[in-house]
Amino acid sequence: MKRLDADTPPINRQKIGIAEYAVVTDETVLITSGLGSCLGIALHDSNAMVSGLIHVMLPSISQARDSTPAKFVDTGLPLLIDEMEAVGARASRLQAWIVGGSEMIQFTASEGSIGSRNIEMAKQLIDEHGLQLVGEDVGGNHGRSIAFDPAVPVLTIRTADDTEQTI
Amino acid sequence: MKVDIRELGQFNHLASLGAERAARSLSQLTGVQMDVEVTDVSLVTENVLAETFSGKSFVGVELGLEGGLDGETVLAFERERALKLQDLLLQATGSSDELAQSSVTELGNIMIGGFIDGWANHLGTAINMTPPKYTEAVGPRILPDQAIQAAKNHGVFLFESKLEAMDVDLDFSIYMLPEYRQFVELLSGTEGGNQIPVNRLSAFEKLAKEGAGNAAGQIGMMTGLDTDVDVSRLRFVPLEGVPRQVGDDRFVGVVFELKGLPSGYLVVLFDEGSAKTVASSMMPGGGTDEEGVGPMTEGAIKELGNIMTSGFIDGWANVLGTSIEHTPPNFVHDMGSAIMSPVVGKLGKQQEYAFVIDSTIEIDGHQGRCDIYALPNERELARALSALPAQN
Repeated sequence: MKRLDADTPPINRQKIGIAEYAVVTDETVLITSGLGSCLGIALHDSNAMVSGLIHVMLPSISQARDSTPAKFVDTGLPLLIDEMEAVGARASRLQAWIVGGSEMIQFTASEGSIGSRNIEMAKQLIDEHGLQLVGEDVGGNHGRSIAFDPAVPVLTIRTADDTEQTI
Repeated sequence: MKVDIRELGQFNHLASLGAERAARSLSQLTGVQMDVEVTDVSLVTENVLAETFSGKSFVGVELGLEGGLDGETVLAFERERALKLQDLLLQATGSSDELAQSSVTELGNIMIGGFIDGWANHLGTAINMTPPKYTEAVGPRILPDQAIQAAKNHGVFLFESKLEAMDVDLDFSIYMLPEYRQFVELLSGTEGGNQIPVNRLSAFEKLAKEGAGNAAGQIGMMTGLDTDVDVSRLRFVPLEGVPRQVGDDRFVGVVFELKGLPSGYLVVLFDEGSAKTVASSMMPGGGTDEEGVGPMTEGAIKELGNIMTSGFIDGWANVLGTSIEHTPPNFVHDMGSAIMSPVVGKLGKQQEYAFVIDSTIEIDGHQGRCDIYALPNERELARALSALPAQN
């Protein structure tokens, strides 16, 4: 039987799920969908041409019994910065975009919505790490899907009613 | 004997890593970018197998496992996707038509090999694979006879990893069916863990059936339309896989918080067409002139959702002998995955995995459908099941 072999194909889009992240050093478009209360954070260093996207679910690892860093803003964002620095990015040059954190559902608990706490934590950490926040589309009560195109760089946001905007 | 939920989580994780390795080999061999959508595990009976696979025509590659883990693995493609794959393999290899079938078999061999690697490491023993077998079948017969027999006798653990291709319709599943008794031994954890006695696992199917059956009955009563529970299964899945399982299509629905034993969340989703159909049939005179999904549809879906949810949790209360209440409905009209994101966020504070009861109700033949997702608090569900009287 002939062995199957083929070169790794050129990949120009990469899909990221919840609690996942990706770092690329080319023009691969990074996409993630279904951002409700979750937050998508895109980072980009245009000098080094390094881009990253993470899809986090909750503000802080200290409030959960789980240890998956990419699930939380306060462990996921530093992890993404580290991974990007490892391939040549510099934190001081990083531009940041944040999208999501909406309040889809009114829960009865009084601790404030997950979405708004995600946004708050992300902004605080972006500030602490000295990143430059260049675009945001956060809050509200609708879901979003996003695509980050490093070539421009630009982030495109799509909602369920098919409206599209770029930031 | 008890099943430790953390162990089940560990095996789910292994299956998920294995599926990612399998996806990478397929990407390399065909040039098509593959992603693992989700990996879940459920304890299924013969009925659930029949519902899950019914009416579809499959092409598969089957391998037996022996040693550290006994069981069966099957790579199953729906027929038209298998043909698509054969085309891609022909392009990639330049081989002739008659080799396409053996290419699929070879591919299955490589992918299942990757899938199983992590399991052998985890168990610290070798797992031997029997030679791959090319199979074609309609319905559940795509699974090995032993697995179907086991499902009939005591249920079988069914791991399913769904793989999806980025730009072509090449979606398929890898199934793994470990031998029941050995696997139950592997799942028995340390005392004091979060455990469910093995002889209460059969309550899983009752939870899935009773709730969905009641909810379907309520739709029938409110709308006068025929309803039928198409599939109802209890899956164990990583929380972050739940939104992906629901998908990015736009839905109309309601979300409820459940309070009691167990607490949790219940989500009822209709596609837009089905929402309009059921809303219309609830109006006096049988119709609305409303364009799109407006206040009238919203009102109807909230009312219907309320009654369905009461029916659903009554079904649970019957099985578990506990009392459960629900909040007023939260109306949603958005991407399915985004609707689920705050629900898994809420549960994510206490748990990494979720027991998801996932039911599909067909309305008026194939005219409409409704999906119900119930996500109970994992520890509370384990507690409620452990408290049930032992069954014979």
